[in-house]
Amino acid sequence: MATEASAAPSDARGVRLLPDDELVDMLHMLKLCRYFDERVEALYRQGRLPGAIYSGRGQEGTHVGTAWALRPEDSLFPTHRDLSAQLTKGLDLRRVMAQFWGRIDGYTRGRDGNSHIGDWQGNRTFTVMSHLPIAYPVAVGAALAYKLGGRDNVALAICGDGATSNGRWHEAINTSAVHRLPVVWVVNNNRFAYSTPNELEFAVATIAERAAAYGIPGVRVGGGDVLAVYEATHAAVERARAGEGPTLIESVSLRWRGHAGHDPAKYVPEEMLQQHVANDDPVRNFEEYLLTEGVITKEDVEQIERRVEAEFEEGYEFALASPFPEPGDATKGLWVEDGYWTSEPGRGGGTEAG
Amino acid sequence: MMATTVDVGSAAAGHGAEPRGKRGDDGQATYLIAIAEALWEEMERDERVYMLGEDIGVYGGAFKVTEGFLDRFGADRVIDMPIAEETIVGTAVGSAMEGLRPVAEFQYADFMSSGFDSISTLLGRYHYRSGVPLPVVLRGPSGGYVRASSFHSVNPEPWFAYGGGIKIVAPSFPADAKGLMKSAVRDDNPVMFLEHKWIYRRIKEQVPTDPDFLVPLGSANVRREGTDVTIVTYGALVHKSLEAAENLAQRGISAEVVDLRTVYPIDEETVLASIAKTSRALVVTESYRFVGIGAEVGATIAEKAFDQLDAPVTRLAPPNMPVPFSPTLEDAFLPQIADIELAVEELSAW
Repeated sequence: MATEASAAPSDARGVRLLPDDELVDMLHMLKLCRYFDERVEALYRQGRLPGAIYSGRGQEGTHVGTAWALRPEDSLFPTHRDLSAQLTKGLDLRRVMAQFWGRIDGYTRGRDGNSHIGDWQGNRTFTVMSHLPIAYPVAVGAALAYKLGGRDNVALAICGDGATSNGRWHEAINTSAVHRLPVVWVVNNNRFAYSTPNELEFAVATIAERAAAYGIPGVRVGGGDVLAVYEATHAAVERARAGEGPTLIESVSLRWRGHAGHDPAKYVPEEMLQQHVANDDPVRNFEEYLLTEGVITKEDVEQIERRVEAEFEEGYEFALASPFPEPGDATKGLWVEDGYWTSEPGRGGGTEAG
Repeated sequence: MMATTVDVGSAAAGHGAEPRGKRGDDGQATYLIAIAEALWEEMERDERVYMLGEDIGVYGGAFKVTEGFLDRFGADRVIDMPIAEETIVGTAVGSAMEGLRPVAEFQYADFMSSGFDSISTLLGRYHYRSGVPLPVVLRGPSGGYVRASSFHSVNPEPWFAYGGGIKIVAPSFPADAKGLMKSAVRDDNPVMFLEHKWIYRRIKEQVPTDPDFLVPLGSANVRREGTDVTIVTYGALVHKSLEAAENLAQRGISAEVVDLRTVYPIDEETVLASIAKTSRALVVTESYRFVGIGAEVGATIAEKAFDQLDAPVTRLAPPNMPVPFSPTLEDAFLPQIADIELAVEELSAW
């Protein structure tokens, strides 16, 4: 049975979900993700960034709110749209930016670009793939390992509304329900699968109600409210941790930008976009909530914004100073035994693109 | 993991089903029993090793390779999965990322294509992109000659060799099968282990009982020495080639038979050493002619042993078409002993 879990950020909350310092950290993360998204797009449009970009703008409430509910040793299985969730989980912005510029200090050592990123060894995040939702079944495997090993960890997987049409979405949720695995299934319903709207993706009213078909709880939450997302995810994560099985969370948002940098997204009705930006901006909503609640002052906000700008500049400088991978290493690291991934990588590739 | 799955009671109850107990009175093991022994021993040796697949638990697998495993190792280590091949592979990958060593059974190797994306795009590419080792074994019965037609006779190895990142093993003898399976389970890379269903119960021999008996991945084996023509092959066709070689010997033609054992990556050294000796190469495969394993073996020989060849490298392989059912059609379609003999005779006449 799908339930609605929504509370506008301006609602007076009887009990604070998180201590004040964490709320401020959360605002910092939201603003960092937003700023990163905007600046990277600007650099891309100026021709100063190779490859592609997949903006998650407008959906940061879903990304930050879900990942915030995880412990460091819990695992995250995101998509290319969910870089903000990976940053929340702990990825180093400098190394993320080195990845965007194809440098050796990127998490994939230049083997992949942009948000096709992950840091399993350090932060327990899956290295993103394009074949969605291919990571959903992988989350089943991680959760299975937790259950068999008697570990109280949880796997959390995110995909978009588009990926819910793929057979793997059904396979993975069904299998996790059958084996009562400690996993949380998050759908970032940004209402468009590339250009295809929800109405052409599924015939039910909500994605959350599909949970009933698997015998698990389904929760629908507004992605414009990061605390509502956090609250729903925290409950699902702790339920999973207690051995009570998976939960499906649908977080409703809107994709503010195109599928990728090349896409002007003219298929998104202007009114729909304007309405969402005006009412459901998760970053602005949360900032206003903290101001209203007296957790922060205007000066604090400005300080956070200056810090975010400085972090971006530091990351950008780090990325451009990081060498390209050694061309001779292109064919290394496929097999474990060549030792590429357990040794220091070649850094002789210069810093100017040829 | 062991603590929750193995207690003295269940171990004792399942003891009678130990694969080694199923060897014949002569102590010989079939190919199927040899594979089961390898899996059993590796699960006893390393508690991180577990199995998942369709009908592998209570039923013991469609071909009964895992019969008795559920009683011995428990439902946490012998996991019956829903019919969802993408998720079987994905689950194996996720559990390997968290330190387990999964062995996933496909009821038939044909159904590996139902998990194609997760095998090729995920399993084969993940370590290159992330540095996370994936010690995953995918195993299943492949190949024809058993009147099983289009959907139960596939040789999937070229599909997955093309994508890279997965070692592909296809043994032909019981001892090799055991030693290669143990190496596959111990390997830190993904390994696809193709068990030829025509061989399962047809071929038996003495098989080592040493729990550390290993046959290295990536090494071919000269099964029969010869001087006139080299037959390079693997799987069921090793047996058919050996019989052809025996018949040819009676007609004064000496054929050497090289069993690839691992079809990706191939052991070029052993193949080329044999060509240096015979100067003639016949490559015999069940995998299709166009873009098949034989095409790669043939191209390698042509490229690296050109100056040693006295005849064109010749392939014997089925066309890129479904394997037909009717005995007359399947026999005409797949390489037969007489076809091998004829091809060798033509080569030796150069």
